[in-house]
Amino acid sequence: MPRFFSNKRLILLLVGVIVLVALIAFSLKDRQSANLPEKMVKDVVGFGQSLFSKPAHAITGFFDDIDGILNTYEENRTLKARLTEYASNEVKLADMKEENERLRKIVDKQEDLRAYDPVQATVISRNPDQWEEKIIIDKGESQGVKRNMAVITANGLIGKVVLVTKTTATVELLSTENQNFRVSAMIPGKKDIFGLMEGFDPERGELIMKRIDSSLDVKVGQKVMSSGLGGIFPKGLLIGEVTEVSTDDYGLTKLAYVRPAAEFSMLDHVMVAKRQSETAQGTDSENASAAEGEEGS
Amino acid sequence: MTRFLIPLIAVVLFFLEPVFSLFSPIELGGMRYTLVPRFLIVYFVFLASYYGRRNTIIYGLVFGLLYDMYHIDIIGIYTFLYPLICFLAAFIIRHVHRSIFSVMGLSLVMIIFLEVMSYLFASLIALTSIGFDAFLTTRLVPTVIANSVFILLFGWLFHNWLYKRVIEKQIGM
Repeated sequence: MPRFFSNKRLILLLVGVIVLVALIAFSLKDRQSANLPEKMVKDVVGFGQSLFSKPAHAITGFFDDIDGILNTYEENRTLKARLTEYASNEVKLADMKEENERLRKIVDKQEDLRAYDPVQATVISRNPDQWEEKIIIDKGESQGVKRNMAVITANGLIGKVVLVTKTTATVELLSTENQNFRVSAMIPGKKDIFGLMEGFDPERGELIMKRIDSSLDVKVGQKVMSSGLGGIFPKGLLIGEVTEVSTDDYGLTKLAYVRPAAEFSMLDHVMVAKRQSETAQGTDSENASAAEGEEGS
Repeated sequence: MTRFLIPLIAVVLFFLEPVFSLFSPIELGGMRYTLVPRFLIVYFVFLASYYGRRNTIIYGLVFGLLYDMYHIDIIGIYTFLYPLICFLAAFIIRHVHRSIFSVMGLSLVMIIFLEVMSYLFASLIALTSIGFDAFLTTRLVPTVIANSVFILLFGWLFHNWLYKRVIEKQIGM
């Protein structure tokens, strides 16, 4: 039986391990920005990847269409029932919008935290070893995508941009277990309730909203949306619905479990929400959480 | 033409992996199951058994590096694991009877090895907090089942087409 390692191979392996540990340590330190070779690789591979993903989306889209046609009758009936309701709602909405604009003019307030320009993007890949919930989209710096921008689907918020290159952007989904991933959120009501989306419970499949003032009353079934106070996200992006309220580990604040409004699997088309009003570094960004960590809070 | 076929298949599989992972995680009976496509490593185990160890390790190194740079943003995990698995596969296949079934079984074992290693690494740098038994039931078992379908399909294709038409000729040259 031949020996598993000759001396030469053993040395080669040891040197290889040392180099790799050094590389891992080096690249772990700064994961928010990519250096030039990394960016080039991402752009080139991203281009190749989109050649494969777009036909795949077309195929799944085709099956979805068939599924849609089969359900047409059923859907048509329920939609018809809601159509009258919709028409009256639309009139109301238009009226409100107009009034809102008029009032804004009166108080001379130009900026609106809610306003954003959507950048349409296609998901080209999902991190195959799914330890981190990351997807890559086909829009990047050259289309105006920046780090920390909110990413949404028609149903609601799904995550934020964590890394951009010229033509691609990596998006970390809300369902991540990353402790530093925070989104400032609010529960609208008579009195708005503010908190932070922080963490994900993989067993329940639900998001956790933390740091809610314990004197405020949160009810099951209330909607949760982004507050826009974090500095980068626009206001009013739907996140989900409260399913359970309890107190946090120390009993000082409340925490709520939130069922996400958007689906995190089978993503194909997403939008990057570019806020129109001035952006600032806040809780939605990595810098803030790093600073907070240093203070030991 | 046939010279480029072997790297071309690796590139195609590399691009197919993230497309298939778009379908994951799937929900069945209230449980979320994560399926990880490991097509590339199956191909590398086949190459290591039939094509030659040295070339396969180089392929493993290149594609591991690409995988790390594009998907993981931490360089070094797959850059280490892919060549290691190519090396191990070539080493093991020299000591067992080489048939299409033993290579299929070997690639299944290697997928399990790769998954466990990547789990250990992910929990080491705190990317995940799930326990080992949760990892077994929600990740490893579904992954192995899904990939074994691919192994059967790919093994058949590899044996009947790629090996007989391409690799035997290249090695013979």
